[in-house]
Amino acid sequence: MTDQEPDTQPMETPVDPLFTHPASPFLRTQASAIAHVEMPALPQVPSTWSTYRTQIEFGLAMVAYLMVLVGSVTVLQANPTAPWRYVVAVLPVVPAGLTLTIFVRALSRLDELQKRIQMQAFGFSLGATALLTFAYGFLEGAGMPHLSWTFVLPLMAILWGVGTAFFSFRYR
Amino acid sequence: MKNRLRVLRAERDWSQADLAEHLGVSRQTVNAIETGKYDPSLPLAFSIARTFNRHIEEIFESEVKAAAGGLAASGAGL
Repeated sequence: MTDQEPDTQPMETPVDPLFTHPASPFLRTQASAIAHVEMPALPQVPSTWSTYRTQIEFGLAMVAYLMVLVGSVTVLQANPTAPWRYVVAVLPVVPAGLTLTIFVRALSRLDELQKRIQMQAFGFSLGATALLTFAYGFLEGAGMPHLSWTFVLPLMAILWGVGTAFFSFRYR
Repeated sequence: MKNRLRVLRAERDWSQADLAEHLGVSRQTVNAIETGKYDPSLPLAFSIARTFNRHIEEIFESEVKAAAGGLAASGAGL
């Protein structure tokens, strides 16, 4: 629509009298009577960063871990006999160490009740993991299939989550 | 431990979240203290008292009422 009609509008409208306009920088105006207005305190909305700091940091560290892991595996497959292969193989531990730092710092930011809940949850997950792994060890002795020890950490993490939920509920 | 936190909070028309923000703790912690399920640490109790301009004893009340001079008398043997 605007393409069909040539823009003649600005020529026809009267020019704004710049020098008589109240907001003109050329006109001396009176200072407003109220110099300072006390603003009402607005509710403090927590920022995404302050609310989800740990999650964001942890997510970024996990992305870094996956990138280094994929890179390390790719390089190792291409150079299976290189003398430096052990160094490359252990590289993913560096971003994993970063997640450890993030985790410990997140724990130190908790308040006293949250720390107590976490202490109870960690204690529970440690003890329950010991109990379950011992029990399965006995079952393996009796002929159950062998499970890899890498199952221990996920088991511990799940029990930690269960413990956090349980002990949080007790203080509700 | 009994406390008057809910009353003091209501006097100021504060939510649990408001008080939690003042104290720098989580809302869950404020709730647990109010319901008597968790006893705050001494620094947190002082900071609660300071927030409401009261003495700690005006906010928190021990459920075991010690007799006057009872502590000194029983402590003498130690």
